[in-house]
Amino acid sequence: MTIREKGYAHWEGQLRERRFPWTPITWLGIRLAFKKKYFKFIIFSSLVPAVVFLVGIYISERIEDFQSMFRGNRQLLEVNPAYFKTYLCGDFLLFMMVMILVVSGAGLISDDLKHNSLQLYFARPLSKRDYLLGKANVIVFFLLLLTLIPGLVFIIFKLLFAGNFQFLASYPWLPLSVIGYSLFVTGFFCAYTLLLSSLSKNRRYVSILIFTVYLFSDILFGFFYENYKNPAFALISLKANLQQVGSWFFRLKPAYAFPWYWSLLILLAFGIAAALVLNKKVRGVEVVK
Amino acid sequence: MTPSPPAGIRSFLGSVRRVFTVFFRQGRKARRTRFFFLFSFLPVAVSLVIKFNQVFSEKPGREGGYLFSNLIMLFYLQMIILIVALFYGTSVCSEEVEGKTLPYLITRPVPRAAVVLGKYAAYTAVMIGMVTLGLVFSFLVLNLDRLRDPSLYSLLGRYLGVLVLGMIAYGAFFSFLGSSFKRSIFFGLLFSFGWENVIQYFPGSTQRLAIAHYLKSFLPAAPPGRFSFLTFRLEPTSPGLAFLMLIAITAAFLALACLFFSKKEYNLED
Amino acid sequence: MTAVIETSKLSKWYGNVLGLSDVSLEIEPGVTGLLGPNGAGKSTFLKLITGQIKPSIGAVRIFNQKVRRNQALFSRIGFCPEHDSFYEEMTGWVFLTSLLKLQGFSSAEIRLRAEKALDIVELSADKDRLIRAYSRGMRQRLKFAQAIAHDPEIIILDEPLSGLDPLGKRKLIRLIRTYKEEGRTVIVSSHVLPEIEALTRSIILIHQGKVFAKGDIHYIRDLIETHPHMVSIRCSDPRGLAGLLLGEGCVLKLHFGADGRSVLVETNNRDRFFGLLLSRIVQSRMDIEEITSPDDNLQAVFDYLVGK
Repeated sequence: MTIREKGYAHWEGQLRERRFPWTPITWLGIRLAFKKKYFKFIIFSSLVPAVVFLVGIYISERIEDFQSMFRGNRQLLEVNPAYFKTYLCGDFLLFMMVMILVVSGAGLISDDLKHNSLQLYFARPLSKRDYLLGKANVIVFFLLLLTLIPGLVFIIFKLLFAGNFQFLASYPWLPLSVIGYSLFVTGFFCAYTLLLSSLSKNRRYVSILIFTVYLFSDILFGFFYENYKNPAFALISLKANLQQVGSWFFRLKPAYAFPWYWSLLILLAFGIAAALVLNKKVRGVEVVK
Repeated sequence: MTPSPPAGIRSFLGSVRRVFTVFFRQGRKARRTRFFFLFSFLPVAVSLVIKFNQVFSEKPGREGGYLFSNLIMLFYLQMIILIVALFYGTSVCSEEVEGKTLPYLITRPVPRAAVVLGKYAAYTAVMIGMVTLGLVFSFLVLNLDRLRDPSLYSLLGRYLGVLVLGMIAYGAFFSFLGSSFKRSIFFGLLFSFGWENVIQYFPGSTQRLAIAHYLKSFLPAAPPGRFSFLTFRLEPTSPGLAFLMLIAITAAFLALACLFFSKKEYNLED
Repeated sequence: MTAVIETSKLSKWYGNVLGLSDVSLEIEPGVTGLLGPNGAGKSTFLKLITGQIKPSIGAVRIFNQKVRRNQALFSRIGFCPEHDSFYEEMTGWVFLTSLLKLQGFSSAEIRLRAEKALDIVELSADKDRLIRAYSRGMRQRLKFAQAIAHDPEIIILDEPLSGLDPLGKRKLIRLIRTYKEEGRTVIVSSHVLPEIEALTRSIILIHQGKVFAKGDIHYIRDLIETHPHMVSIRCSDPRGLAGLLLGEGCVLKLHFGADGRSVLVETNNRDRFFGLLLSRIVQSRMDIEEITSPDDNLQAVFDYLVGK
C-alpha cells in the first residue's frame, strides 16, 4: 500500500526558516518567569531604586523648593555621571539582579538537563548558539529592564525637567556609557548564570550556587582586605570588579587603587570559562558512564 | 528499672532510625556533599593563606585568635551554616517532591513524620560532620602557636557547640520551609540574608526574633573593627535561655514540618 | 470471595477539576485491570487507595482497615508508581535494599529478598550499576522489583509495562498471572488494551473520573445492547450460509468479506445465534474453517463505552 493510499499527502508549501530561531525559547522563559507568583513582586521591588533616583532627578531641577531638606548637601543631588554610576553599580541593584537570576535563571539549563530536553531542542533545526542565545536573552530581558531602561529614562527625564540639552552637552558620552555598562553587566551575568545552571540538574542547588558564589566572593574580599589592607583583593569580589569596570564606563575614579582593566580581564576570563563549559555541557546526547 | 516506652513510640523511633540509616548513607555519598564539603573547607584555605602570610611576612599582623573569632567564626555563622542548612534543610521534603520519589517513601510502613525526622537527623549529621571538621582545622591553623594552651580547647568546644546548635536550629526551620513552600530556596535566602541580618539592627526584644541572636549570645563580644557590624547592636540573651530558645525553635519547626508533610498533598507534576 | 479493597463513594476534586467521582466498588483477590484513557482518573484512584492523597468525599478500606495514616498496612501493599523517578545516584542494589530497610527487615533478610527480587526481574547482573546508567526498561523492572521485594499481599502497579520490550512485557505478564494463582490481589493500571487483555478478564473501566464498567470483559460486552455482536464465519460457501441465516430474527445484518470466503453477521442475541448457527451447519454439512467474534474483546468494549 503506498503512502498516498494511507491518506498521507506531500506538503507542497515552502519551508521558511525563522529569522531568529531562539525567540520561542526566550519568550517561553520570560512567560515561565512571570508565571511565578512572587516574581512580579521581585521585579517591582528591584525598580524601587529607579523610582527613587528618578525622583532625585526631579528634585535636582527644583532644588530651591527643597532647600530645607538638603541644607549643605546639595552635591547629593547633583545629576552627573556619578549619579548614574551610583544607581547602576549600586549594591542593592546588583543584589536584586542576583535574586532575579536565582528565581528566573537557575532553571534555564538545569531543568533541561533534568528532563533530558536537550535532545528535543537539538532534534529541531536549532544550533547550540541559538539555544544558548535564547536562554541568555531571558536574562537579558530582565536585566536590561533594570539597567538600560531606567538609565535611558533618567537621561530623558533629566532633559525634560531641565527644559534644555545642557545636560547632554556637558556629558555627550553618557548615553553610550549607560548602554555600554548595561550591556556589559548583563552579558557578564548571562555568562555567570548559564554557566552555573549548566553545572547541575538540580535547580535548587543552582539557585544556591548563583547566590553563594556572588556573596561569598564579596565576603572573602572583605576578609582579606580587613587583614591585609591591600585593595588588589577586590579582584576576588565579583561585585567589586563590576564596580571597577563601571567606574571606567562613567569616567570616574575607581573605588580601588588598581587599574580597571584588571577587573575587566577577570570578568572576561569568567566569560571565557563559561563559554568553554557551556560548549561541553550543552549537547544533544548525554553520555552516561 | 526504667519503664520501656510504649510500643507505639518504640515503633515510631524504629522508623526514624531506619530512615536515618538510609538517608545518612545517601547524604554522605551524594555528589553535592562533596561540593558542600569543599565549601565548608574554604575558611580553612583562607586560614592557611593568612597563616602563611603571617609566617613569611615581616609585619606581625593580627593575632590568630582574633582572626578566628572575628572573621572565620562569623563567616561560618553568617554564611556557611546558613547556606549548608538551607540546602540540606529544604532537601528534607523538597527533594522528594521535586525528584518525584515521594511515593517510594509514603507507601512504606513508615509514618510520614518519621520520614521528616529521620531525614532531618541524617542530613543534620552530615552537615555537622562537614562543617565542624572545617571549623576545627581553621581553628587549629590560626592558633598553631597556642596549641598547648588548654583554655584554647574549651573555646573551641564553645565554637563547635554554637555551630552545631546553629545547624540544628536552621536545619529545622528550613525543613519547615521545604515542607510548606514550593520555592523554599528563595524564601530561605530572603530569611538568611535579609531577615536574619536586618532584624539584628533593632534594639531590645526585636533582636530575639532572629536565630542568629541566640547563637551570638554564646560568643565572646567582638571588639570594634570593620566587621563589628556583623554582631550589630547585640544585646545578648543569657546562654542558658539562648540554649532553651534554640531547642524550642528546633522542636517547633520540626513539629510544623512533620505536620505539613503529613497533611499536605504534594503535586508531583511539573 | 471477600473483598480486599473497598471504596465507598470515593471522590476527589483538584480545585474545580473533578479527578474521580462517586466510585463505590469492591476488589477481590486476583488480577484486576484498571482501564481508561489518559486523564481518566486511574492514577487518582490508585493514589487514593494507597493513601497518598486524601479523598474529598468517601472512604477506602483495605483488609477492612482505613488506609490514611495507617502506615502499618503498607507492609502488605506494594506500589509501583507511574513516574520514572529514582534516587539516581544510587545503584539498583542500594535502592532496593534501602527501601527494604524502610520495611523493617533484618540485614540478612534484606539481602535475600533483594537478590530474589532482582533475580525475578533479571537485573542481578546490573545491580551495582548506577540507576542513572540504566535503560528505560531496566528502570521499569527495578520499579517493579521494589514493589514485590517485600512479598506484599496486594500489588498495585501503575502502568507497569511502559518502557518494556515485547519479551520483557511477556515475562512480566506471566509473572503477574502467577501472583493471581498465589491468591494475591494485583491491580494493574494501563491505557494499552492488549496488555490488560493479556493479564486478566476482570476489568474496571474508568473514564472522565467515573467507573463506566466493572467485571468480566465478556459479561460487560454482553451488556452493551446498543452495539450488536459480530460473528465472522469463514467457510467454503459463505453465500449459502448467509441464505440459511437470513430469515432468522436474531440476525440483524450480513456482510461478505472482500476475499469472498467469509460472512460477517451482526446479531442482537449472541447465544441464540450460536445455537442457530450450529444447527444450520450440521443440517447443511457445510465445511467451516473458522468462527470468530471480532468485537468480543476489550477494544470493542472500550470503544463502545468511551464512545470513540
